[in-house]
Amino acid sequence: MTQVLLDMLVTGLPLVPVFLGIYTVFRLRADFDLTVEGSFVSGGAVCALALVHGWPSWLALLAGTGGAAAAGAVTALIHLLLRVPVLLAGLVMSIGLFSVNLHVLDTPTVSLGTVGTMFSGFGSLSGRQADLATSGVMAGVVAVVLAAFGLFLRTELGLALRATGVNARMARSQGVNDRRLTVLALVLANGLAGLGASLTVQYQGYADVNMGAGTFVAGVGAVLLGELFVRPSGSKLLRIVGCVLVGTLAYRLVLVGALRVGLPAGDLRGVTALTLLVAIAAERYLGALGGLARTLTRNARSATAPARQEAA
Amino acid sequence: MLRLDDIDLIYNPGRVDEVVALRNLSVTFERGQFVTVVGTNGAGKSSLIQTISGAARPTRGRIHLDGRDVTRLPDHRRAGWIARVFDDPRAGTAPELSIEDNLALAMARGRARGLRFAVTTRRRAVMREHVAGLGLGLENRLADRVGLLSAGQRQSLTMVMAALSAPSVLLLDEHLAALDPGTTATVLALTTELVRELGATTVMVTHNMDHALALGDRLLVMSRGRVIADYDGTEKSEMTVGGLIDRITGAGDAVSDRSALVEKVTS
Repeated sequence: MTQVLLDMLVTGLPLVPVFLGIYTVFRLRADFDLTVEGSFVSGGAVCALALVHGWPSWLALLAGTGGAAAAGAVTALIHLLLRVPVLLAGLVMSIGLFSVNLHVLDTPTVSLGTVGTMFSGFGSLSGRQADLATSGVMAGVVAVVLAAFGLFLRTELGLALRATGVNARMARSQGVNDRRLTVLALVLANGLAGLGASLTVQYQGYADVNMGAGTFVAGVGAVLLGELFVRPSGSKLLRIVGCVLVGTLAYRLVLVGALRVGLPAGDLRGVTALTLLVAIAAERYLGALGGLARTLTRNARSATAPARQEAA
Repeated sequence: MLRLDDIDLIYNPGRVDEVVALRNLSVTFERGQFVTVVGTNGAGKSSLIQTISGAARPTRGRIHLDGRDVTRLPDHRRAGWIARVFDDPRAGTAPELSIEDNLALAMARGRARGLRFAVTTRRRAVMREHVAGLGLGLENRLADRVGLLSAGQRQSLTMVMAALSAPSVLLLDEHLAALDPGTTATVLALTTELVRELGATTVMVTHNMDHALALGDRLLVMSRGRVIADYDGTEKSEMTVGGLIDRITGAGDAVSDRSALVEKVTS
């Protein structure tokens, strides 16, 4: 059981920034950005390349973040200059980036081998201790990212970003430049994807040109799963970061659990798709049940305290 | 002073589905003037509002605000000077966000938005003071989602948001249309109070002939994208609802049921 949780942490924590980026576009902006399927690989590839060239692991992490953020900027440019929906711009980018990524990596898979990473110091530890130390470092990075993101959402710029996704016409009439915020959201979301990819690459010790496939659907599934537990809304910022953290870990727990019960790795994408469907179904039907339960308890409470209700 | 020179607003020009929203429109609004605008559906009232706010860019003509040409500025660049209240109470606020977040969004209007915190203790005090004036008890519900408020409360909040950054032009686009009679009276009282306090040039579009005659110091009648009558304060005070409707139907427009209903009630 402990091993399942550790597996969940070491494979799930690197995905938290990635899915935070997906939440930014999917929920805060109410849009779909498929760039992440390609930019996730771009971030990992740039990070791997930097490491192979002897860059320090922290710098490689930043380089990976920047590489993926640049991909997001290109998507934003396509969206604004050619006036196509973000969905289409991202789709085109996700396909085009495959070739770009292959050129960056030069071979379909780049192994980091003996190159020093953030986690290579833990090689001497036993398996479980190494996992513990690894997840500790990852948790540190993730905590900083979540805190910084939460604080950013509280700023005037972050507030404007949240407003454009809810009511763009109103945001514009309040002087918000929503074109500029589209660029910001896409750069931020893909930068976060690159950061997560860099963590993943450093942990698993290789970068692969296909490692991004299915990221978007996994992220949406994790967000929906998180919303079942945490119920975030536009002004509840702790709940937003909490939703992403809980959703990502719950999603990884499902996958790790599926591997534990003996499913072959090839079935994991099927499990991802099923998780998304179950999360949607639970939101549709359990959500209604949850609402019913809340109404019932409220009625029961007000029935026992009729005087207070009258006073209100 | 707000000046519109020779404005044309034409959608799909030169095509079979061409729509002329405004034609050769020239109006000057003096600083601090409170102008009501009436006309049938499709007369160009909302197009006038859209053109002033920058949500629609005119096909021809210039718009000057306090001596500067703002014709090419999009709506978000004009928001520092021009505040707008929409006809749909849901349109002026962000329902998912809290009351204080909505107010904070309006407080930053006309300034560059940066990495300062949007809601601070000091700003919250300012917000509380502004909202308390409404007498709706919203000052104790600043953290509530705006989606929980009634239409009247939301429209009142939008009015407060419009006033927060002291705009020089206030645009009211049938902002009472979706409210029930009781709420209409409340928001109407709030409107006159705010307009007096702000001293902003105010353009109020309405379907209600009574409101059009009772409020403001100038009345414009629009038809088919043009201003067909322009009454100043004294002319307006001598005008009756019946006379106003005759003026509109005289231009060949059918008065809508909503306006006609008002005529029956008043006569």
